[in-house]
Amino acid sequence: MKQLLFALLLTASTSLAAAGNGLAVEHAWVREAPPGASMMAAYLVIDNPTDQDAMLIGVESPAFSHVMLHRSVTVDGVARMVHQDRIPVPAHGSVTLEPGSYHLMMPAPDTRLVAGDKVGFVLHFADDSSIQVTAEVRKKP
Amino acid sequence: MNDHSSRVWLARIIPLLLATALLVACSPPEPPQLQQATLLPSPKPVADFNLTSARGEPFTQDNLKGHWTFAFFGYTHCPDVCPTSLAMLARVMDRLKKNPRLDSLPRGLFVSVDPQRDTPATLASYVPYFDPDFTGATGAPEQIMTLTRQLGILYMKTAGNSENDYLIDHSTAIILFDPDGKFHALFNGPHDADKIASDFLLIKDYYEATR
Repeated sequence: MKQLLFALLLTASTSLAAAGNGLAVEHAWVREAPPGASMMAAYLVIDNPTDQDAMLIGVESPAFSHVMLHRSVTVDGVARMVHQDRIPVPAHGSVTLEPGSYHLMMPAPDTRLVAGDKVGFVLHFADDSSIQVTAEVRKKP
Repeated sequence: MNDHSSRVWLARIIPLLLATALLVACSPPEPPQLQQATLLPSPKPVADFNLTSARGEPFTQDNLKGHWTFAFFGYTHCPDVCPTSLAMLARVMDRLKKNPRLDSLPRGLFVSVDPQRDTPATLASYVPYFDPDFTGATGAPEQIMTLTRQLGILYMKTAGNSENDYLIDHSTAIILFDPDGKFHALFNGPHDADKIASDFLLIKDYYEATR
């Protein structure tokens, strides 16, 4: 019974995903873009309870033509976005993709995504493993 | 202490108290203790600039007069820092709207430093998303530069994969113009809506008390 409940909970949650590689993804959300915006951002947290460092090397999504790994960095009051080839997830640690820091950047699709829509992502890691996650479109975290 | 000596003591202390009270009442108020804002030592007049508003009308230094204005500089292709800052600025307005002693609200202004891709029409759909009262403006590169140079706002294109695919590094500071249209204060990030709203009220009080 407990197992069934757990399975139900897992299915019900839109922002929690676990995979065979031992990593877990949670709090995934896509920022609703204002009308006229050509780019969108998505955020999530990757937990790594394992003994091995992990490396996020790419993300894809059926909702977007492509997904880029980015990081906003502010130095001396000037913000810059820096393309990332990879995002490390330390062993027994986590990485947080959040506003003003690491994020996923995607071109806005032709049909505007609005708050409440659900978007799937597949996260690819350096050890050939991947995690599927569903993210909700929201106006704010 | 007997009656006589306490009277002498009072006779000495009362004029002193009165003098102190008078001095406090007449001296200019102390500048406020601010959490996020940096006040300019003296507000700086803004030299003429000529932009175009999201409505397609001229937007000049005169549009900054008669009210307080919070201004942020960015571009609509920016998916992370710009929406975060504009949503934060909308929260500042929400806080101020709830303040009963504020007779008029400051205005919000988003200046696009990317006129190559951001037209007034783009801004007309983008900017009101955050707050229906926010104004958008952009213009010829040299006109944007005329304004930003006076405010210490920096921005530069970074190479992209094609002519129309580039990013822009830009200052994240929020600029506050006073009702004289002068550059009055700036808010450096990371921004906190509650602190900015409370700083604004203190700045406004101090401005009104020292006019």
